[in-house]
Amino acid sequence: MIRTESLTKVYNGKAAVDGLDLEVGEGEIFGFLGPNGAGKSTTILMLTGMIEPTGGRCLVDGIEVAKDPLKVKEIIGYLPEDVGFYGNMTGEQNLDYFARFYGMDARERKERIAKLLELVHLDGVTQKAGEYSRGMKQRLGLAQALINDPKVLFLDEPTANLDPEGVREYRELVEHLAGEGKTIFVSSHILSEVREVCRTVGLLAKGRLVAQGTLEEVARALAPSDGDAVRIVVETRERLPELEDPEIISVERNGTRAVVRAKADIRDRLTETLFLEGLHVREMRIEEPDIEDVFMAAYRR
Amino acid sequence: MAVDRLLNVARKEFSDHITSRRFIIILGLLLVISAISIHDGIENYNNSLESYNEQLQRMQELEDPYTSWMPQKPSIMFVFISMMSYMTMLGGILAIAIGFDLVSKEKETRSLKSLLSHPLYRDEIINGKALGGVGALGFAMALALAIALGLLLIFSIVPTLEEFAAILIFGAVSLGFLLAYFAVALTMSTAAKESGNALIYTLVIFFAVSSLLPMFGAMAADAFAGDPPEMPEMPPMPREVVRTSSGGGYFVSTASQNVVYGGADDPAWREYEEEMQNYIDKRRFINDISNLLSPQMNYYTVAIAVTNPQIMATMDAPVPYGMAPEEKPGLAEALGRVWMNIAALIVFPSAFFAATYVKFMRMDIR
Repeated sequence: MIRTESLTKVYNGKAAVDGLDLEVGEGEIFGFLGPNGAGKSTTILMLTGMIEPTGGRCLVDGIEVAKDPLKVKEIIGYLPEDVGFYGNMTGEQNLDYFARFYGMDARERKERIAKLLELVHLDGVTQKAGEYSRGMKQRLGLAQALINDPKVLFLDEPTANLDPEGVREYRELVEHLAGEGKTIFVSSHILSEVREVCRTVGLLAKGRLVAQGTLEEVARALAPSDGDAVRIVVETRERLPELEDPEIISVERNGTRAVVRAKADIRDRLTETLFLEGLHVREMRIEEPDIEDVFMAAYRR
Repeated sequence: MAVDRLLNVARKEFSDHITSRRFIIILGLLLVISAISIHDGIENYNNSLESYNEQLQRMQELEDPYTSWMPQKPSIMFVFISMMSYMTMLGGILAIAIGFDLVSKEKETRSLKSLLSHPLYRDEIINGKALGGVGALGFAMALALAIALGLLLIFSIVPTLEEFAAILIFGAVSLGFLLAYFAVALTMSTAAKESGNALIYTLVIFFAVSSLLPMFGAMAADAFAGDPPEMPEMPPMPREVVRTSSGGGYFVSTASQNVVYGGADDPAWREYEEEMQNYIDKRRFINDISNLLSPQMNYYTVAIAVTNPQIMATMDAPVPYGMAPEEKPGLAEALGRVWMNIAALIVFPSAFFAATYVKFMRMDIR
């Protein structure tokens, strides 16, 4: 549904996005991760047809964005970071103004707007958008992104201004929209947020895509390389004896606990040996890299 | 560019303008002052008409021997001369007030990004904004003229067809003047990141072209035209020809040294006359060129031509004769004399609108 090919954007001689190749399938909830300044928003602006790429191209639903931005805008919805509205108009009036660009008739607009305002819990709010809290603006932003019932939804830092209740509602809404078959592209620098809603992620750093796949795949790809070694954590009730196995590379022991580096997964053999020596095994597991740590390390690179 | 999308933007902008407190306050002030000055103008017109009728009556009573001289019937266009002065000030402020934050405010509130995410081109946005502003200023101008016409009718003064046409042209010229400053404000709003800066830049240009430019024009005329030619020895008695006209705060004067005819047979004297004429023409040319860059000066010139064609004809008459022609010039003729000023009134806002367009199309919206 979304594809970029060597997508590049250069500002003042510096590449904000540098040869980005990305692919997001239909109906996916894709998390676009990266630290501030990594080029996430610039990528979204190119994908939504708001700025032109310096090089490469991007396609949404098979349409090349730079060649036909209007056609793309008709099938996408976009919630910008720090979304803004016309402060002298109510939420309903703001939505009505935007809805007119899609050729909807008055009845259609009225029905759609009423439905969306109810969806984001802004129905019955009569105050002007200029008097909205940031959270309310964010919810109205979500409604404006959905005004045309888009196939693809781009959300840039969608939970930045929401309170915990708003975040919970947002997650439910994203799940609901994904259930309708929409493709959702969520840009965020908060891993925990992406982790909650996204099925696949892409990690961007300094304008380049560092890794893409499921969270586990990305974490594994980014984890510090340890050759083909497997790290096994062992803990017993009694003090650990010397561990011997032809597959063992090294052992870091600390009383009742040890981290074993082995050429293969030898947990079954280790358990049997310890049992035969009369020891009580409390823990025996493969040590997976911590996703937060892995992403933080990638952010810092 | 699709017309429906352009009109959607223009409709919203127009509605924003005419419902904004800022617009309503300045427009209200403009209309009140307009009504007061039109009322004063009507009184003056009635007084002039009364004096005209008295003169006519006296001539008939005396069976006047000066049959070639007839008093001139006052035109109701005199009433509109007073509108010029406050139109340049309050009207200019109104135009600036609706234009200086048209784009910068959208950048500040980030609504521009939301708008651009929907299916419309950038040129539809900027053209729609311009159209909405033009509509709002047109609406203000139409209201001012409607009040003026209403007052005329209340006082039982019914304009002739030509006067009605002149009133409409006066309205169009005034609108052209307002558009000049609206265009400047819109350009600054697009170029500046913040509305405060946009307002300051606009005011700087406003004062530069309204006050500094005419001053520099006069200085440039002095500098480039050099010293006036020396008079030949034993010249005939020089006569200073000073022609003035005034109306509603507008004051124009042309002064020149000239001579009575009589010594024209003297070659030295003829040469001096030619040199003096060249000197005056040169000064006037430089001054006129610099004034063409000032919407105020162009507006004054064109508005005077519309409201009082006689003055324009007098000013354009050959210097030695320096008097109004016997026949009153028509509106078309008067406008023909100021075609360069009319063109300048069109070119000035067009240039700024073009600059706005280019800047907006290339604007970084991150």
